[in-house]
Order: sequence, then C-alpha cells, then structure tokens
Amino acid sequence: MYKNYLKVALRSMWKQKSFSAINIIGLATGLCCFLLIVLYVLDELGYDKYNKKAERIYRINSDIRFGGSNLHFTQTPDMMGEVLKKDYPEIETYTRIFNNSGNKLVKKGTEYINEPNVAHVDSTFFQVFTLPVIAGNTRTALDEPNTVVVTKSAALKYFGSTDVIGKTIETNDNTKTSYKITAVIEDVPKASHFRFDFFFSMKNVGYKWGRHLSNNFHTYLLLKPGVDAGSFEKKAMNEYVVNYILPEAKQFMDIKSMDDFTKAGNKLEYSLMPLTKLHLYSDRNFEITPPGNIQYIYIFGAVALFILLIACVNFMNLTTARSANRAKEVGVRKVLGTQRKFLITQFLSESTLMAIISMLIALLLAWAILPLFNDVANKTITFSQLASPVLLPFLILLPFIVGLLAGSYPAFYLSSFKPIVVLKGRLENKRSGLRSALVVFQFATSIVLIIGTLIVFRQLNYIQTRDIGYKKEQVLVVNDVYALQNNVDAFKNGVLQLPGVKSGTISSYLPVSNSSRSDNAFSKEAVMDSRNGFNMQTWAIDYDYLKTMGMEVVKGRNFSKDFGADSSSVIINEATAKILGYDNPLGQRLYRNDNDSQPTTYTIIGVVKNFNYESLKQSIGPLSFFLEKNPGLASFKIATTDLPRLLASIEAKWKALAPGMPYSYRFLDESFSEMYREEQRVGRIALLFSIIAIIIACLGLFGLAAFVAEQRTKEIGIRKVLGASVSGLVALLSKDFVRLVAISFVIAAPLAWLAMHKWLQDFEYRITISWTVFLLAGLMALAIAIITISFQAIKAAVANPVKNLRSE
Amino acid sequence: MIQLEHISKWYNAGNARSFVLKDINLTIKEGEFLSIMGPSGSGKSSLLNIIGMLDAPSEGSYYFMDQSVFTLKEKQRTELYKHNIGFIFQAYHLIDELTVYENIETPLLYQDIKGAERKAMVGDMLDRFSMVGKKDLFPAQLSGGQQQLVGIARALIAKPKVLLADEPTGNLNSKQGEEIMELFKKINSEDGVTIIQVTHSEKNAEYGSRRIDLLDGRIEQHIKEGQSL
Repeated sequence: MYKNYLKVALRSMWKQKSFSAINIIGLATGLCCFLLIVLYVLDELGYDKYNKKAERIYRINSDIRFGGSNLHFTQTPDMMGEVLKKDYPEIETYTRIFNNSGNKLVKKGTEYINEPNVAHVDSTFFQVFTLPVIAGNTRTALDEPNTVVVTKSAALKYFGSTDVIGKTIETNDNTKTSYKITAVIEDVPKASHFRFDFFFSMKNVGYKWGRHLSNNFHTYLLLKPGVDAGSFEKKAMNEYVVNYILPEAKQFMDIKSMDDFTKAGNKLEYSLMPLTKLHLYSDRNFEITPPGNIQYIYIFGAVALFILLIACVNFMNLTTARSANRAKEVGVRKVLGTQRKFLITQFLSESTLMAIISMLIALLLAWAILPLFNDVANKTITFSQLASPVLLPFLILLPFIVGLLAGSYPAFYLSSFKPIVVLKGRLENKRSGLRSALVVFQFATSIVLIIGTLIVFRQLNYIQTRDIGYKKEQVLVVNDVYALQNNVDAFKNGVLQLPGVKSGTISSYLPVSNSSRSDNAFSKEAVMDSRNGFNMQTWAIDYDYLKTMGMEVVKGRNFSKDFGADSSSVIINEATAKILGYDNPLGQRLYRNDNDSQPTTYTIIGVVKNFNYESLKQSIGPLSFFLEKNPGLASFKIATTDLPRLLASIEAKWKALAPGMPYSYRFLDESFSEMYREEQRVGRIALLFSIIAIIIACLGLFGLAAFVAEQRTKEIGIRKVLGASVSGLVALLSKDFVRLVAISFVIAAPLAWLAMHKWLQDFEYRITISWTVFLLAGLMALAIAIITISFQAIKAAVANPVKNLRSE
Repeated sequence: MIQLEHISKWYNAGNARSFVLKDINLTIKEGEFLSIMGPSGSGKSSLLNIIGMLDAPSEGSYYFMDQSVFTLKEKQRTELYKHNIGFIFQAYHLIDELTVYENIETPLLYQDIKGAERKAMVGDMLDRFSMVGKKDLFPAQLSGGQQQLVGIARALIAKPKVLLADEPTGNLNSKQGEEIMELFKKINSEDGVTIIQVTHSEKNAEYGSRRIDLLDGRIEQHIKEGQSL
C-alpha cells in the first residue's frame, strides 16, 4: 500500500514539475533558514556550559549610583572574594580575573607581538573553570609570582610545541617582565565569556591591595553543592557592604550608615549572576568579551519559526490550490472502496516525502551558505554542530513534523471530496477563506520583518550621523604607544610634522567603548558626605586632546601652556556642571577623594560640551579631564588625499623609534562602529531573513496566481472575446491578491510598531518611529506582490482566447 | 438482492421541491442484467449512485443483500460496498499517475490482500482481457476502448457481486462499444455477476435481461418479462 502511495506521490510530483519545484524550493529555503538560526541560537545558548561546575559558579556584579552617575560593573574590590570565603562556609572557593591593563606585548625572538587575550588570574582559576591540562599542574601553577599558564595555540605560536614547561616568556606593558611557563592547557572553548591565551599570576599585578572601595576585579564564586544561591546572595552581599565597605568609607567620608547613603538617592549593591547567564543576560560595562543579548535570541527564534511557518503555509496553499488536479484521483479511490483515513495517510505521506526532499536540499543549502552566515553573524559555527546529540533526533523528526503540519490541511480537505461531485465534472474551486487567511499570515509576517529591518537600519544610521559631541571622522589612533618608552613625544612631534596631520594627542582615554576608563569619588565640598559626593569619570589628557577630538569648550578654556598651574585644573562636561549646579562653575573647587583622609583640590577652568563616550544606549554621566601623562594611545587628526603614503610614513617613524615593537593602528570611526557591532549584526541578519521570508511568500503567491489564472482560463477567454483589454484582465486577476496584501499590512503595522518601539527603548538616544517607514514597507510589499502576480496575470491575459475556449 | 422502497430524492429550490427521483420501487435479483434508460435529466445516474451507495436518497429505504444500507454505519457500509460492488464510468476515471497494472491492483490494496495474491489476481485479469503487453503503460497511452477495458478489469478484480456501469460506452465508437457490451454479457452469464447499466442507447439496452425507463424521476414502464411493480 505504501509503495503505491509513494509511486503516486513521486509521479504526481514529477507531472507537476513547476508546482513541485516551487513547493520544494520554498520549503527547503525555509528549513535552511530554520537550521541556520537554530545553530546560531544553540551556539549563543551554549556559552560557558562546557564548565562541569557551571551550575555552581557565580560572578559578582556591582551596581553603583553616586551623585548622578549610574554604573553597572562586572567588577568587585580585590578583597571581596577573600573575605566572603572567610565569612561564609557556603563558598567552596573563589577566583578572580584582572585584565584592566588590556593587552600585552609578548616577545618572540627579537620582535614583540601584541597579545590582546591576556589576564592575570588567581591560582584557583583552574579549580573553578574546566580547562583541561596538557602539561604541568594547574592547581599550583600560578601560586608563585612570574608564572604563566598558556594555551596550546599560544605555546605552538611561540615555541612550535606544547612541551614548554619551564621556558620563559618576556612581556612588555610599560615595563618588561619575565614569566616562567608552569602549565599548558587546551584552548579555551569558543563559547566562553573569556578566551584568554595567557593566564599570568595574579601576584604580578601592581595594585594597592587590600581595599574595598575600588572595583577592578572580576570575582567568581564556586558555591558548595546544594547551596541556595538566592538566599546566600541576599545575606552575603548586603553584609559585605555593611561590614567592609562602610567602615572603609567612613575614614574619608562623612557617612553614618548605609541608610544615610541610600536616602540621598545613592546606591551600592552587589549581586550574583549565574555563569551560564553571563553571555546573554548581561548589559554591563567591562564584560571581558562583548556579550550577546537574550532579546535577540527570542527575536531570532521567533523569526525562524515564522519563516518555517511561511514555508509550510506555502505548501498548504499550493497543495490545496492544486486540489482540482487531484480531485479525480480522490473520487476514483473512494469509488474503489478506500476509507478516508487511507486518503489522509496518502496525502500526508506525500507531503512528508516532499518535506524530506526539502530537508535534504536545506541541509545542502545550509552547508553551502554557512561560511557566509558565519561572516554575517560573526560566528564560527561548524556544520558538524548539527550532528549534536540534542539536535540530531530533532533534525530527523523535523521533516516529519513539517510534513504533517504542512500536509494536514490539504489532506483533510482533499479527502473530504464527495466522489460523485468530483467525478461528474470539474471541481468548483471556490475562493477559500482559509487560503486567503494563510496568504495574509505570510504577508503580515513579511511586512513585520520589512518594517523591523527598516527601523533597525534607520536607528543605525541615526547613530552614525547623530551629533555625538566630537568628530570621529579622520582620527587615526596608533595603539600601544607605551612601547615607545621615552620616545613617545618624539614620535608625536615627528608625526605632526608630516603633511596632512593637523593635530595629535597622547592619551589612552577615547570616547568609544572598550577604551581606558577610570572613575573616582568627588565632592563639591571639602568633606564628602552622601549628598555632596558623586562618582565621576576621570580622563587623563594632554593640551591637544580636545582639539584633536573636535570637542567643543562651551565655557572657560582648554588646558594651556600659557597658564602654569594647570596640573590642578579640571575641565568638566556639561553633565557634571548640571550636578554641581553653579551658575558659573568656572573657578569653583572640586575635591577628589582617593580613599585617603586628605582630599585633593582642583579648580574648574572649563566646561566641555556633552559627548557620548559610551554607546548611545547609555546616557552621558559626569566626566572630567585632567592634564596628565597617559601614554597608551596616540590619536592624530588627519586631512590627506594620500592616506597610504601618510600611513607608511607614520609606520616608518614608529619603526625608527621603537624597533622590534609591533605597530598597529585603527580609525576612531571604526572603533565607534564596533560599539554597535551587535546591532549591525542583528540588522544584517534581519535583512537577510526578511528577504528570504519575502521570497518564500512570493513563491507561494506566484504559485497561487498561476493556479488562479489557470482556473479562470475560460473566463479570461470569454472576457477577451467580449473585448476586455490586457491591462483590464491583469487588474482583474491581481485585485484579490492586492486586497490580501492590504489586509496583511493593516495587521502587520501595529505589531511591528509595538515590537520596534520596545527594541528602541534599549537606546538612550533613539529615533522616533516615523509613518514613512510604514508607508515604505507597505509599498514595498505591494510592489513585490504585484510584480509576482502580474507575471502570471499577463501570461494568462495575452494568451489566445480561441485556444483557451477550445480546450473546454 | 437489491431492494429499493419508496426512494425519493429532491433538492430544495426556493419554496418548491425539485424532485430528481420520485417514489422509486425496484427489486433486482441476483444474476440480472438491468438496463436503466431515459432521457437526460431523468434521474438515471442519481438512481445508479444511490444503488452504488455513493449518494443517499432524501427518503425511502434500500436493502442490499437484506441489509438496510442507509442505517449502517459509514464503515460497515464501506465494507459492504467494497466487497460487493464494482463501478464503471463513462469517462473511465483511471488514475493518471498509475500504470494499467497498478490501476487494476488499487482496489485490492484497500482490501488488505497480500502482495503475492494480488499479483496473481492482477495477472489473471490481465490475461483475461489480453492486456499483459500493456500492463506498464499509463492511461494516457491507451485508446478509449482500452482504457474502458482497464476500468472494467479494475471493477471486476475484487470479484464483486454487482457491477454498476454509468454509460460505459458513451465515450467509445460503436465497434468498441459493442465489444464492451459483449464483454458485459459474458461476465453476466459466465460469472453470474449482477449488472446494472445506465445507457442512452436502445441497442445497448438490448444486451440486458431487463430494462426500466425513467422519466422525470419516475419509472415509466417495465418492458420485457412483463413485470409489474
């Protein structure tokens, strides 16, 4: 019996080649998208799960609000882990990561190589995280200072072998240090929130240890099995603040209790974040690697499902539309004594067969475009990930589910035909309400995707063109200028003499994320209390910084060599001026409290216009500039028509002044765009999938239009004989579909508005959704639909009526 | 074998009922060869469809082998039907996607007959209609007469007790038509299959052992054997 079904299925597929092709291509494309998104989502969801103790690992986050600045950090004081472990038996162990110093230059032969993925960690690091050892003992590897654990790739890169225990590497980050390799581990898995290649001993961090007020360390707690993290968090985090932070703060600040502090609108809170949530649920500053966003996982999951549904809907629509061709067979089979359930089985097996074929094509397609997808999504997913034990059974089951889903309506519809009706003559193919509803569903989904994509791109464009308070264009940033040591000024002056260089500055503070940052507590009066104190960014710059960055001084003046005493001067931004509340802030004092009993006094000499120093998702907080040497980066404002030559000249200057040191540069606007990489990635993926959704929906529409044209061949013939024009006929055939697209638009527009309104709330600075977006999306959908339909409509309308009528 | 009592079928057209069949009483004995005649619209096909259980009357009762057909459950009716009734159409109604062999085999698939047995039965049928050489052709590759032969073979394969034919020669030329009618006669006399055919043609009606004429949904006369109802 099944052999018979299969035969009929294959033959009727073959007989209706174009219909089958549309069906299979549509379904395969939908499945392919689905596969890719599933891979993407699983990859994102799988972060840090390689750790065997993942369920027991928590990182401590800090939330600080102090006088108008609102900070969400991933770091804690250096002492926090230690005292918590001492005070609470619930903690098995703790470990810390310190990576504030950023990258390190590592010596290979006579050259230095810039290594960005480095950190100082505690010796307990390898007890907390599951990082398999190749050689050495990671339990004790970092107990001593000047020790380092390297990954297999790093060992191979520097020594060509993993047999490197006892060898030394030399690093340069302002000063040269030698480290002895004490262990080699496997590379850190890609789905990890850290991906270091070098783990240096914590003992080499130059730091004023033993403090509770500076947050500079990523601290992870490994809780004992069975400990309830929630109640532990409630108890321990609060007690830590009261028992350790408050006493230390009292030393230099007029503060009686935490209540006093919070009543003034301030906040100091620590919380635990489960390791497995770090990647998708964190929107904090100073994450080690840029985190993902759970919201996008939901969005993509929904998109995947909808694309699959659109493809299934195509299948249903085309199959039921074709029912006239199968009606006779149904009638005959019924007359020959089949039961309805056999017919249902037959049609379901046909659709399942199609789904299986589509699945095979989809797998092939996914394999082919995975590199492109990886590129767009900024991932390194391999095709073999599909064969994971979680996914494989699902993938095998999927074509059957899709087959049943897509085939159910046609199966029940077709099998319900009354034999005497269908055998007597041609089946009346009435305009089916369900079929229209399905088309509306497809187009509504497509229109939502179009609107979403348009708004994402408008917001991205807004980010690029908004006045952000500085000029990001044509600023060349030379990295790691500390490697020049005493030649930093010589380098700057040398570059300034090159034609096309307008100004230059030395400072590692840049108005883009992932640059150097530091902040301190300041107060309006000499004695700080909960009300007059506030947290403020402190940036160390030189005389030419504001000019090079194109920042505008709105009041007062820039640092200047003409005024001798600028070392105790400060330039504040407008946000700070607002907090201070002076009518004229110029000449007023600011007190900096470096956790010491005696504050340092500064005089305000200028106010700079607010500029966005983090992404536009964040508001602008208080920020101040100090005249201080900070040889991290050199930035140059350039204006040249011969960029390659200028770049070559700058590199030559570097080579002359810092032989053997790696030279690298970037442009400020590139770093600016980096901040929105996630959004750009989402924009590109959304664009890709909107296009695909539209294509699949159009395939369906194309098939339906062809079918309707075929159905109405006789009518068209008669109308033509009676004198109808081609354009009139095209309009006649298109009218119904255009109406459906219009209905889809009415449904889609509010849904899209809601979704995108929510998405935009992520941005502190955002566009308002304009009606033109909707107009554009509606027109696009309409145009695409009309083009698709008119193809068939014109074909039917220009056909010779005599031929059509004769065939009846 | 077949007993129709007060069978009527109508459609509601506005306020009035439009009768297709009106108070039909008819008994058909096993082994009969009945021809139903009448002009277009007289209700011939409707009557055949009711006898063939493809359609239900608006009123009246129908006994097939002493079972009241329209009080049976759908499933039982299908069982009764598929073991006892074969249908032949004017337009043959073969499944285009299946070969001659597969078309003939199809009814057996619905009766859960084993593969080997099916093969033997289809083989017999192909032999009987001398179509062994054509068994792998598709309907479109056959002439109308040949297609109708396949239709008949398919109707007979399950060894039905009753063969219902709706204008079986309507699409054929006269020579092909004669051959089909000869075949019917043979099936009727040799296999003892009861045949009920609907036809326009006096000549075809002659092949039957009995004939009824329908006019506007009523049986007008009983020719031959002088039966009265």
